[in-house]
Amino acid sequence: MVSFNVDYFRDLETPRLALLAPNLVAAAFPLMKLMPARYILDRAASNGELKPGSHIVETTSGTFGMAVALLAAARGYRLTLVTASTLIDAKYKARLERIGATVIALDDPRGDGNQPGRLERLQEILAREADGFWTRQYDSPGNWLAYARLAELFIRAMGRVDCLVGCIGTGGSLCGTASFLRTVFPHLTVFAVDTHRSILFGQPVGKRMLRGLGNSVLPKNVRHELVDEVHWVGAYPAYTTAHRLLRKHGIFQGPTSGAAALVAQWVATTLPDAQVAVIMPDEGHRHAETVYNDDWLGALPGWPCKTPSEPRTLTTIAPAAETQWTRFLWLRRSLDDVLKAQAAGDMPPAVGAAENL
Amino acid sequence: MAGASDSMSHETPRLLVGTASAIAHHGELIQGVFKDDGGRLHRGLVTLPVAGLRSEASFARSDDDAIVVHPDHKIKAAAAARLTLDSLNAGGGGVLTLRSSIPVGHGYGSSTADVVASIRAVAAALTVQLRPSTIGRLAVAAERASDAIAFDYHAVLFAQREGTVIENFGGSLPPLLLLGFKANGGVPVDTLQLPPARYDSAEIQEFGVLRALVARAVRLQDPYLLGRAASASALIGQRHLPKQGFDEIAEIARRAGACGVQVAHSGSLFGLIFDLFASNLKRRAALVAEQIRRAGFKDVEVHLVNAEGWTW
Repeated sequence: MVSFNVDYFRDLETPRLALLAPNLVAAAFPLMKLMPARYILDRAASNGELKPGSHIVETTSGTFGMAVALLAAARGYRLTLVTASTLIDAKYKARLERIGATVIALDDPRGDGNQPGRLERLQEILAREADGFWTRQYDSPGNWLAYARLAELFIRAMGRVDCLVGCIGTGGSLCGTASFLRTVFPHLTVFAVDTHRSILFGQPVGKRMLRGLGNSVLPKNVRHELVDEVHWVGAYPAYTTAHRLLRKHGIFQGPTSGAAALVAQWVATTLPDAQVAVIMPDEGHRHAETVYNDDWLGALPGWPCKTPSEPRTLTTIAPAAETQWTRFLWLRRSLDDVLKAQAAGDMPPAVGAAENL
Repeated sequence: MAGASDSMSHETPRLLVGTASAIAHHGELIQGVFKDDGGRLHRGLVTLPVAGLRSEASFARSDDDAIVVHPDHKIKAAAAARLTLDSLNAGGGGVLTLRSSIPVGHGYGSSTADVVASIRAVAAALTVQLRPSTIGRLAVAAERASDAIAFDYHAVLFAQREGTVIENFGGSLPPLLLLGFKANGGVPVDTLQLPPARYDSAEIQEFGVLRALVARAVRLQDPYLLGRAASASALIGQRHLPKQGFDEIAEIARRAGACGVQVAHSGSLFGLIFDLFASNLKRRAALVAEQIRRAGFKDVEVHLVNAEGWTW
């Protein structure tokens, strides 16, 4: 019998680990969403929900769609991605279609992503297709369960993990990794990296300049009770930190990775005795014409600007400018509890991991 | 562990007597289901070996086809002897005699120790040296499910129902002090009557994390990480075969600064894991032992793991 231990997508989903500071390990993914996509498809195939030739559907224009498209191509599934015209650029759409996906870009007259319209279209396809399968990255437990593998990689590389820093969008990567690490390291401090005007941690909805993290709806996979601190990073500091990752460490990642690295560097400096892990989701190629293009950057109002060296600690949750970096001590509370306390005007405790030295 | 002599075989001088032994264990550091390289799931465990308790076997070959075992209820050991003869293409039978100091039914692995000692004794009688992996495979064939004691102090993730190694951690466990005792009033558990645990997806994923901790703990000889893995595995075990007093023991362990709590997943044994080189260990261990006794647990004992003659 031939016995090859070979799995291309297992390798592709595996991050490269980088030492950004003596006490800071970064997991730099080429395409992080492969981890949940592969896990969700594997599970559905083994329990019979997904059969050869099945029709996969999802409402995404992001990297989860790209991950599913690659897997669907290799495994012989059909794939339809439902997105909004405002959320996808022609190049990315062409790339997905070249892999074999059908991309439906709905009109978006209100400019909010038209999530209700996208869900309606997705349900139409599921009703029509007997062997339709919805990956449900927002709600499927498979999304967070998949990240046990990332917890394993951190542990094999660094042993004890004291602090975890990561972006939050669907909640899968940060909440999944955090919950697995915390089963063995109950003292783990979790830093969620969000962006201004994302609703995930109680900010009012609004236009977000930094894409790939944050959300305008609240996915089930966001588990607020796991989070010790939330940091809202604006687009500008995320861009400059992505540049810094490239120039100082030779690591070419996207702007969400920049946002995560900014917070992680601060945590690692503030808590020099802590072993810090940070999740950096994607490579920078998709941003070559924007975040890594001086003409594009030069056209931004106020660019270049100084990157804050530390966050401003908020006592009242509120949006800030794209040049800003703010922080709020969440302290493992539910969203409800925090919003009620905010409405009642309760001052949150002013002591977090960083103050508790 | 094994030797051969002809001193006892005056009547049939061409046939040797093989003697061998196998050590006991104190249950498992971790037990659950684990993925192989192809992503398939296997039940597996990492055994926590303890010196001091052992089973000793001698096997005297005979031309007779039968295998006669003493004591005569150790039929799995007899089956193991037969399988070993067959796998080595040796005909005939023999007399298998077992002497064991290992208590039955608490999770010390008395049955596997008998089986492994028997396999080694038969091999010794044939002047054959078997690899641990072969002994492990034969042990599982003889008793359906078997722990990893065939590997002695070498740490492996062992598929106890398949007899294969899922992951070889490439070394020994770090030096530990184990404070062992019995839950459930010290009443033995009949492990064969237990249905295999059904783990949910989150537990299955968590087992991968525990496996990573053991790998790191063995590689860097880190008792703290080993204790974290054992505690988490014991906690999952509580959902499947609960032990009385678990929360109380976990609290005692936490206050005592133990690396972790370890259990025999299908037995009554509890263990508190300490770093053998921790400061003030003798006094701390005595204090904790007293707390455990006062909490009503039976048979509190000290075991040293990989102590290499260390006097603590």
